[in-house]
Amino acid sequence: MHKWLSSEARRASLPWRRAVLVAIVAAGFLAPVGAQALPAGCAALKEKYPDWKGKTLVNAINPHTPGYEAIDPKDPSKYVGFDIDLGEEIGECLGFKLTYKAVTFAALLTTLASGQADIVISDIYATEERAKAGDFITYSKVFDGVLVAKGNPKKITGINTTMCGAAAAENTGYVEVPLIQALIPQCKAEGKPEPTLQLYDNNANCIQAILAGRADTYVNDVNTVDNAVKAYPDKLEKAIAVTIPYSVGIAVPKDKPKFREAVHAAMMEIYKSGDQAASLKKWGLDPNNLMEPGLLMVK
Amino acid sequence: MSLFAHYLSLPYLLEGIEVTLQVTALGLGGGLILGLILAWMQLSRFWWLSAFARGYAVIFRGTPLILQMVFAYDALPHIGIKLPAIAAAGLALACNEAPFIAEMLRSGVLGVDRGQVSAGQALGMTPSVLMRRVIAPQAIRTMIPAFGNESVSALKNSSLASVIAVQELTLRSTQLASSTFDFFSIFFASGLLYLLLTSAVSLIQLFLEWWLDLDRAKKDRSLADYLPWRRVELDASPAPALDAVPAPDVAALPPASTLTREERTKRAVTIARNNIAVEVKDLRKSYAAQPVLDGLDLTVRIGEVVALLGPSGSGKSTLLRCINHLESWDSGTVKVGGRRLGFHDDGGRLSPRDIANERASVGVGMVFQQFNLFSHLTAKENVAGPLRWVYGMTRIDADRRARELLDRVGLSHRADALPRHLSGGQQQRVAIARALAPNPSVLLLDEPTSALDPELVNEVLEVIRRLAIDDGLTMIISTHHIRFADEVADRVAFLSGGSILEEGPAHEVLTNPKNPLTARFLSVMEADKAPETVR
Repeated sequence: MHKWLSSEARRASLPWRRAVLVAIVAAGFLAPVGAQALPAGCAALKEKYPDWKGKTLVNAINPHTPGYEAIDPKDPSKYVGFDIDLGEEIGECLGFKLTYKAVTFAALLTTLASGQADIVISDIYATEERAKAGDFITYSKVFDGVLVAKGNPKKITGINTTMCGAAAAENTGYVEVPLIQALIPQCKAEGKPEPTLQLYDNNANCIQAILAGRADTYVNDVNTVDNAVKAYPDKLEKAIAVTIPYSVGIAVPKDKPKFREAVHAAMMEIYKSGDQAASLKKWGLDPNNLMEPGLLMVK
Repeated sequence: MSLFAHYLSLPYLLEGIEVTLQVTALGLGGGLILGLILAWMQLSRFWWLSAFARGYAVIFRGTPLILQMVFAYDALPHIGIKLPAIAAAGLALACNEAPFIAEMLRSGVLGVDRGQVSAGQALGMTPSVLMRRVIAPQAIRTMIPAFGNESVSALKNSSLASVIAVQELTLRSTQLASSTFDFFSIFFASGLLYLLLTSAVSLIQLFLEWWLDLDRAKKDRSLADYLPWRRVELDASPAPALDAVPAPDVAALPPASTLTREERTKRAVTIARNNIAVEVKDLRKSYAAQPVLDGLDLTVRIGEVVALLGPSGSGKSTLLRCINHLESWDSGTVKVGGRRLGFHDDGGRLSPRDIANERASVGVGMVFQQFNLFSHLTAKENVAGPLRWVYGMTRIDADRRARELLDRVGLSHRADALPRHLSGGQQQRVAIARALAPNPSVLLLDEPTSALDPELVNEVLEVIRRLAIDDGLTMIISTHHIRFADEVADRVAFLSGGSILEEGPAHEVLTNPKNPLTARFLSVMEADKAPETVR
């Protein structure tokens, strides 16, 4: 309850925020033990992993994905979204606070590896390739949406040969990039022109590429695609949702196994407590994304 | 676009401006410091310093700033240097700006008239005084527009810091656009904010140009003249104050006395008993195997006036520049007042700084063909400045001495004029006053009237004549004015091919040359001024 209110407070405008603050204080009195809104196991985890208690860690994000991580349009000094809430709850569970470092998508793992960030919670798909740069705690299934111009003039039905000859906008470093590249030989075999790729460094630029008529499609997380369609209902539509064999993951440095263990344990608590499902609902994301946290590591 | 005004005043974006300015300031400040070091290295006498600076420029000018930013942010931590994002961006920008600023500084320094540098050296200025008092003040004035450019470019380049998580204006704009989907209003707003910042830089540049304009003090120039739609010639000086009648100011002074033949003979006898002022022995110098001085010997006694004659390229100027050690030579010795120039007592070569101090203490003044006045200083400052900087005089004493000397060359009424507002003849007279100010034991004059319009020649010759005859100053003059040489010089030396072909009492050599080359040269010059009998 406490958790939910404080997240809401971040989004509320000023007068409302004050009212909400009053409500929080009231809730603190009314609820028998307000602090216990945290998953029950967190107290024990703090005992078990005391190294991060009272610390402030840096979370590298690519804050261009409303719903997951983006600045709050009402108060641009704050970041809001599902990933942001998740990170803060992990922090509360283990006793650390988070500050944010906004980087391009392609720079997320570089920033982590160079020590400029401690953790990456930014809707990043955990792949074997990426796991060479950081260990992943997976926490969400992936459903991709295919964003196209209204009416789907190229009749694109997914990452398949309907994309032959189309221009696809993608972010540098996205997993969709190699998937689209893999279409080239297939298109050739069918005697169709190759698909072309335009690489940008954030969602907004990819969406603008379709609006400007430069690109025909943009394949990304289905929730991102839905949000884009919601923002430009007259100009954009979602062609189809496709399943991609990855999970979304939290990246942590490879040389800190203890930290990985602690974050994984905290994720388990948040998953089991139902907070993760509630948060998906709160941010309007598909409840089917929910999955039991796992690990992805490669040597 | 309805929210355009809202974004324009959004504190979130305005705070981004602050970060943008921080990165820009770090970049420009650091770039200036690094650029100064690089420019100094490139201009240094040591080849390896200049090679290092060149190498640096090749790397940092030749790679994209965005890569340098990423390097400073993501690569440096691997060797244990973990800078905060703003500092990393500032470092990358500074390293990137440095070679550009260094080139601006270098071209500014090299753009200062070499003649003024020679004049400063001749006055005994050490390299650092020369830099501070003569080169820098002029270089800075010419560099302001380029600096304005560089500042604007650094301000815009700071937006690349967005790739390394610096929350500057561009990064904030893109994030805001992502979360609101209001792409164009936000980018128009942030574009306008950048425009306001760069306009502020332009205004600062215009203000500095006005503030450092040498004509500003004379109220000739108002700040409004720098506005782009005002068509005022900012560079061209107002028409120089040419005297209607040639040199009324000199004519107003009593003319120098002239010598009769008897007086001349008496003078020659006196001089022959005097000590040696300048002694040049077997001086040799060549430029790329082409000899300019070929075993030249010359002795000048105190109070003697020697005229050097000879065709162009005969070595007259080089000889004078060697006597003042503005140039070095290959072999031979030059002694002034009994001191051997350019060498330590143990025979080692002196550094440029020691040579400067030596020049000041030996006291050799020099007047150049092209006047070489310090163009950013008034007539009075041209004379008084070196007295303060080289000889440590107080301002009051130096000013008094300057007024005295300007009065002597008939220019006290032009004391506050800039060189470019003076006629050629007036400039040369100021140059003579400047050379005389430290009381030199010898005055060298290198074709002092060759760059003057014919009607201005006399005023300068009159001043020199007075120095020779009334003041008894030791002088070596290279000149093409045969009649003047005849009137003023005790002795003439005819140079050809880097050595003296013929020398002797002025009137004798000029009227009755022994060497056929001398005779031919004199007859060519004849048309102009045949030596007459001494008045």
